[in-house]
Amino acid sequence: MNNKKWIPTLLAGVMTLGLLSGCAGGGNTSSGGNGASTLDNSGAATNTPSASEPIKLTMWGGVPPESGPQAVVDVWNAENPDIQVEYVRFVNDDDGNLKLDTAMLTDQGVDIYVNYTLSQTEKRVEAGVALDLSEFGDYDIDDKMGPDAALWKIDDKYYGVPTKKNAFFVALNKDMLDEAGLEVPKSWTWDEARDYAKQLTADGRYGLIQHLEPFYDPMDSVLEKDGYAKADGSSNLDHPLIQKWLETLNAMMTEDASTPPLGEQMSTQLPVDTSFLGGQAAMLNIGEWLIRSSNNLTDFPRDFKIAFAPVPRLADAEADFITRGGLGDLVSINAKSPHKDAAWAFVKWYADGGMAPMAAGGRLPASKDVDKQVALDSLLGDQADTYDLESLEYVLYEDTTPTYVRSASQQVIDLRTQEYEKYFLGGQTIEKTIENMVARHNELLK
Amino acid sequence: MKGNWMKKQQLLGYVFIAPNMIGVLLFFIIPAMFSFVLMFTDYRFMNPNVSFVGLDNFTRLFKDEVFYVSLGNTLIFLLSVPISILLAFVVAVALNKSVYMKKMLRALYFMPYITSGVAIAFVWMLLFQPKMGPINGFLRAIGIDNPPGWLSTMETSMIAIDIIWIWFMLGYNMIIYLAALQEISSELLEASKIDGAKWWQTIRSIIWPLVSPTTFLLLITGLIMTIKTFGIIQAITQGGPGNSTTILSLFVYKNAFRYYEMGYASAISWVLFFIILVITMIQWAGQKRWVHY
Repeated sequence: MNNKKWIPTLLAGVMTLGLLSGCAGGGNTSSGGNGASTLDNSGAATNTPSASEPIKLTMWGGVPPESGPQAVVDVWNAENPDIQVEYVRFVNDDDGNLKLDTAMLTDQGVDIYVNYTLSQTEKRVEAGVALDLSEFGDYDIDDKMGPDAALWKIDDKYYGVPTKKNAFFVALNKDMLDEAGLEVPKSWTWDEARDYAKQLTADGRYGLIQHLEPFYDPMDSVLEKDGYAKADGSSNLDHPLIQKWLETLNAMMTEDASTPPLGEQMSTQLPVDTSFLGGQAAMLNIGEWLIRSSNNLTDFPRDFKIAFAPVPRLADAEADFITRGGLGDLVSINAKSPHKDAAWAFVKWYADGGMAPMAAGGRLPASKDVDKQVALDSLLGDQADTYDLESLEYVLYEDTTPTYVRSASQQVIDLRTQEYEKYFLGGQTIEKTIENMVARHNELLK
Repeated sequence: MKGNWMKKQQLLGYVFIAPNMIGVLLFFIIPAMFSFVLMFTDYRFMNPNVSFVGLDNFTRLFKDEVFYVSLGNTLIFLLSVPISILLAFVVAVALNKSVYMKKMLRALYFMPYITSGVAIAFVWMLLFQPKMGPINGFLRAIGIDNPPGWLSTMETSMIAIDIIWIWFMLGYNMIIYLAALQEISSELLEASKIDGAKWWQTIRSIIWPLVSPTTFLLLITGLIMTIKTFGIIQAITQGGPGNSTTILSLFVYKNAFRYYEMGYASAISWVLFFIILVITMIQWAGQKRWVHY
């Protein structure tokens, strides 16, 4: 008799254990091998008929895992036991992109990847490794991301979702500006910027320093608007505003000594954010990634407020100016991936706020589903009161200057860089510089 | 019977060299042949459309201004090889005699050769820093008011690279010379001493000719290695400022892996190959005049 009573109790015990282990399997990233994981399906996945093994996706991105991506995939993996995403970092330089391209061409299991420039994306579309997203009808990129998203269209199609709001600006040391009695500009020309820099230059302090990434953006601002080539197909690098940019900066380096000479900056690889945050420069031409350092008061102690100004323009009239900005971080799906639907589910989730942990590293979500205030809060963290919030919001959200995304090919960028380096280092005259740029560009345009 | 044994022996020989040969075949000979075909195409990595363009890549190359600049830079870079060899010879002769802390000095000279290229690049960039770097600090201290800008100017950047490269190769060249110096029989040196030769006469007429096969070896391998190097320049200047430190091998690398122009890059690398070949052949022809076995 005793025996018979024990049997149901034992069965109940076994079942409870089974359920428990099922839940555990769902919560963990591994060992979901007992079928119970399907119970946790939160509806994101669409194609998991036999869910005994979770789908494994690999996402390649250029951001170090600890600056957000790991947190992003951890959240996703916890919520979606049947689609497990692994993040692989590639360094976003020539070698890193080559590694990604090779991995995709040789089917090394890249499912999702992030493009950082339009010219790289074009190469990947050509190679057939970027999935045309119009095959999914359930997500309106234009509506979600706003009009800037269209800059990423190739042949009028989306081959990825632009997820990040780009922000390029001049960061200002508010205390130094106040001291000199200068306003925070909301729109300014390079002549005015030069004037500011001159007034702000002091002993052991530059008026303006520039990060080398957006350094040559003024040229692209002109050429993206008026065309890299003229109507007759020849190079437009002899545009008068290009000469103006070269001469203005050169005068700032040599006559005014209000910005570091380029040769010196390159050979020392001057860490511009360190100089600016350390008070050795009053203005810094940079982008949103400054926030990564400026939020870190332990390594970069400062006691001044940072204000923000839009990037200065070369053209006289405001109406003739477009500025670099728009959206970035184009998340694409490998057209050869066997798990396109699962990858798409992840990409949508990522774009609609799943990427939030990346904001601490300066990456603001572009989707309209993400609340502006929430995004700003996660961007600035506890340090919000060390920034001039009004000017920050102006630069990020209110400035209505039309924008562009850098589209010039690497060859054009490099030949320009080589020639203007020669000029800024005193190796050739302005006439020769423009002549060389035009000649070399024409050679490529043929 | 005997022929059969020979055949077996030969077969065994092939089996022994097979692992190496397969490696060379797969990773060197086949890719090299492949690039020979590629140089007649407009192949761009990632682009599936490839067509034969004949000699277009070469006409483009011979019109490319950067090609001539990098050719000139390559020649300046190659100058570092004989200089490094001469310095290594001097150091080796000095360290071969009784010098204090001989072993430690040898180790010190050899250190650069086993140090990671990135570390070398970083340290030299600091040393060459025009305003605060120790090299210019020293030059100012001894009374030079306007020391060179080293890596930061177009005129001096290639010289700065040469200095780094000389320093880098010195240790290796020195070790090889030390081995060669051990081979010189002491009878010859003693005989010259008895005949009343001064120390520099001994070096010039006995030591230098006797180590000439080593010098020849170092010259050939050094030039080949140097003409192929680009990693250290990529780490320090990426070919800049302007293109004042772009050498041919870096030019190939940039075209292939930065611009994905594989066809064009293949053409340049074959031109590079012929340059190495010609230099090496000239040396072989010239060796009879000064190399004594």
